[in-house]
Amino acid sequence: MSYNESDLRELLNEHGHGRAGREPSARLDAIVRRGRRIRRTRRAVTAGTALAFAAVAAAGLTGLLPAGAQRGEGAAVAQQPVDSARVTPGPELDDTMKVALGAKKFDLHLIHSQRFETVGGMQKVTFTPTSVYTGDKVVCDDPRAWVVIQYRGNGPEPIGSRGRCEGSIGGHNDELSVPSDWLKRPQSMQIWVFPGDAPVREVAEAVNGCRPRMKGKDCDEVAQSVALGNPEVRRRLSALVGEQPSRWAVGIYDRPAPSASAVPTGGPSVAPTATVVPTGGPTVAPTASAVPTGGPTVAPTATAVPTGGPAAEPTAAVTASPTAPTP
Amino acid sequence: MDDGFAEYVAHRHLRLCRMAYLLTRDWGTAEDVVQTALAKAWLAWRRIEGNPDPYVYRIIVNTHASWWRRRWRGEVPAATLPETADLRDPAAEVDDQAALWSAIGTLSPRQRAVIVLHYFEGRTLAQVAEIVGCSLGAVKSQLSRALTRLRVDPDIQSMTLEGVQR
Repeated sequence: MSYNESDLRELLNEHGHGRAGREPSARLDAIVRRGRRIRRTRRAVTAGTALAFAAVAAAGLTGLLPAGAQRGEGAAVAQQPVDSARVTPGPELDDTMKVALGAKKFDLHLIHSQRFETVGGMQKVTFTPTSVYTGDKVVCDDPRAWVVIQYRGNGPEPIGSRGRCEGSIGGHNDELSVPSDWLKRPQSMQIWVFPGDAPVREVAEAVNGCRPRMKGKDCDEVAQSVALGNPEVRRRLSALVGEQPSRWAVGIYDRPAPSASAVPTGGPSVAPTATVVPTGGPTVAPTASAVPTGGPTVAPTATAVPTGGPAAEPTAAVTASPTAPTP
Repeated sequence: MDDGFAEYVAHRHLRLCRMAYLLTRDWGTAEDVVQTALAKAWLAWRRIEGNPDPYVYRIIVNTHASWWRRRWRGEVPAATLPETADLRDPAAEVDDQAALWSAIGTLSPRQRAVIVLHYFEGRTLAQVAEIVGCSLGAVKSQLSRALTRLRVDPDIQSMTLEGVQR
């Protein structure tokens, strides 16, 4: 026998009609309910996108306000649309990052944040540091999510953090860890977030054997975290898991700007207008906040760790790079 | 509220599920895809002119492709072997069909959609092009590649040879 188009037709007919058990029943009420839910989501996303633009515009306006107004009523007005722009509640970022250096403690303040709705790929976040102590923190809905934060350090290899999200993950810098041009121009970091059940171990073993960090240990979570510094491991993981819905956010923390009128909210934050379809890519709701003035002057030690991998892969030039959705 | 929507669902739901099953190869996913497609169609129902089938098919194809990109693809799915009527050699026949069904599962979502729409739904290639949203030439190309791929599949090839020898 040989295969021809009739065989193919026959096979498709057999399989298409060959369901054992109950036939699928049409539930009109469920369909309509889902339709209404889709409509609500679309409207909320559309409204959220518009409000996100308003938030960016409002954040820009705060730079024109007097310093006192930024900490008071003006700041509250500027931040209001940010909260309103959230379509659904996601993981919350703290307003400050606590730094402890021996007996001395001080806070870094949130200067820039972005929210994402999907995991499985890379996002690039751009910001303007106001000191060499810039800190970063990623918070996730899924505490088991794998996170890789990478940016340029004072050396040939990128620095950053890797590991399970576990509520939050991140670190902060000092004058020894940042590159010499840290304060001269906007900086960017690349962040990969993978689902908690991503096959990190399997991919790491396939790429480089997932060498354990300590003699006699298995390819444990520490070894898997180290393996995530390998661009090939991340690339294969991204290809395997694809883009999946799961919310997370990144916050950039820093000391106050030298000038009270400066609002270091980083580069242009992109709020995609074409991704209003629920099945689309990540929804980016940039949040910008007024920077409080004052604070201690203690020089902290660096907590940023070298990520061990080669230089970061080339990325898109935009601040956040949502992928195009397929309706 | 429905302007014929309920009637359309009642008449077409089963057929749509069957078509979606051939794309997704899982009845649960197929029903979910169809429900999503019909929910989206319900939102646009008053704006649909003429036969809604192409519009609904298009949503199903796009939804399947979108979900396919997201899900884990470490394994090639294989369904349970179907029971068939007795022919010359029932065991060999089942093997042949299983091999072909398995090979269809390795096609890309677009290629599978073209195969299903053309050979199961009986749509012309022009209609398929309209549904999947590409040119007629692109559909012909996808169909040709899909058929070529099915025919060069090692399992099918070996069994075809055995069949010839029988």
